[in-house]
Amino acid sequence: MINLMKADLYRILKGKAIYVVLFIIIALSLVSAIGLTPGHVGMTSMTESTININDEEMLGIMAETNSLKDLRTLMKSHGGYELDQAVLGTNMNLYYVFIVMVVIVLCTDFSNKSIKNTLSSAISRNKYYWSKAILIFLICTFLVLFNNYFFYFTNLLINGKNFASSLSDIFKSTMIQFPLIYGIMSLLICFAFLFRRTSSFNTIAIPFVMVFQLLILGVTSLFRIRADWFYQYEIQNALANLVNHPTGEYILNCALLGFFYIVLFNIIGYYAFKNVEIK
Amino acid sequence: MKDVILKTNNLTKKYKNFAALDNVSITIRKGDIYGLIGRNGAGKTTLMKLITTLTNPTSGEFELFGEGSNHLTENKRRIGCLIENPSFFPNLTAYENLKYYSIQKGIVDMTQIEESLELVGLEDVRNKKFKNFSLGMKQRLGIAFAILDHPDFIILDEPINGLDPIGISDLRETFKRLNEEKNITILISSHILSELYAVASRFCILEHGRVVKELTKEELDIECSKCIVIQTDDVKKATTVLEKELKTTNYKVIDKREIRLYEYLDQTSKVSKALTKHDIDILGLYETGITLEEYFKSVVKEAN
Repeated sequence: MINLMKADLYRILKGKAIYVVLFIIIALSLVSAIGLTPGHVGMTSMTESTININDEEMLGIMAETNSLKDLRTLMKSHGGYELDQAVLGTNMNLYYVFIVMVVIVLCTDFSNKSIKNTLSSAISRNKYYWSKAILIFLICTFLVLFNNYFFYFTNLLINGKNFASSLSDIFKSTMIQFPLIYGIMSLLICFAFLFRRTSSFNTIAIPFVMVFQLLILGVTSLFRIRADWFYQYEIQNALANLVNHPTGEYILNCALLGFFYIVLFNIIGYYAFKNVEIK
Repeated sequence: MKDVILKTNNLTKKYKNFAALDNVSITIRKGDIYGLIGRNGAGKTTLMKLITTLTNPTSGEFELFGEGSNHLTENKRRIGCLIENPSFFPNLTAYENLKYYSIQKGIVDMTQIEESLELVGLEDVRNKKFKNFSLGMKQRLGIAFAILDHPDFIILDEPINGLDPIGISDLRETFKRLNEEKNITILISSHILSELYAVASRFCILEHGRVVKELTKEELDIECSKCIVIQTDDVKKATTVLEKELKTTNYKVIDKREIRLYEYLDQTSKVSKALTKHDIDILGLYETGITLEEYFKSVVKEAN
């Protein structure tokens, strides 16, 4: 298992993708730090869930700004808030980074059919599954930590203490997000073992979060279902809520939900892979 | 008796109602170069995939190096494989691809990569990316991968596809050298019968997922040896004459118009007289030796 992980690391470091991913994280961090506001993907309202600004007028003006410079001037005049925590609240953005990593570590093996070489003479399916899953967890953990701490220090340097929390707060927020983040990774690993080819995996994985949210939104509004509880634990919302002074009970529930996802998706992924014919 | 390297017991692989492999039982012994012959879809690749665990059998089992499925993972490490087309990472060079698998297999001595590349004649293009390789070069890299960690048993599926004549000849020598000098057992499949004949010591003919013939090179030589072809419209009567009049059973009915007689090779007139004596119409009678292709076709036809 260790050898397979070492070999994959050798291959990943030889390629360009990991460096592109790091560059994107750095670029997004810089844009967020300079603009003094986090970027986000998906349906969660960034201003509602991640920025602690209660001034309605201010939010209105913010919405009308059309340049980073204007936004920055506006935000600076506001007096400060914990921008680094707000960025952590939009960590669902990393979903797309995770997709890239799953493709590099796993789907390329299926697409290039190089998995045949590995399974036919080096390693069992059991070890293959777990070494790939563990490697994805390790790399993505590194990327989450890199994203969070790189932004913390960049923000501190560019915007000063008024817009920063503390290292311990960043650590706490990072840790309580991890079970859900590992749940997301497990979902992607499951998709990769179910759909195998890069193209099929991308077709499912890339729009999944948005399609899922739209579906829930459509169903709840169509049938007038009250789904506040559900929205609270929808992954993108949950990640945002976890950096916004959550209660102990909420943290525990999110952790349990994360563990549930980890177990569920890994079981499905493992059994899908165990019996499949490698073509 | 030589050690058994691979023994399959009624290995079967079914896809819904279609049996890709049907109760295949073969034994490969140490030092064999075992040639798998069969048409497209005969089950050659399926058999190799089952042995290398790329797919699971519907029923049956197999032993590797005398041990069953309990020790499969350890024993798989003693195998080198090239199944179907050679598949590697397109953006890595030949050397980097082999280094990836060396790390994966826990090989410490990286000179083995150079050794393998040299053995298949790819040492000059070691830094060329796999995506820029020709089909022949890809095939050679696949073989270099198969022999990377000095395996005891190599499984090669159509390894000479896409190679030029010199490449084929070089590889033939490589296989023989690996077999003779390093005592490596080889399971090899090919459509090019003459090439398989030139390299293999034992043969297995597969048709519709079943083993229709398993024979040694010596036995194959006898099967392809000289014979008298008798063409007649009454095969049944002709065989009775051969048995009663000429006292021989050393013949083979090819189809409803043809018999091959392996005796009386210099006495065609005697055969002719015996047949005409019993009012059998002879449409043709001549001496011939059959080619490998003809032999293969006749065996396959018989199986159907």
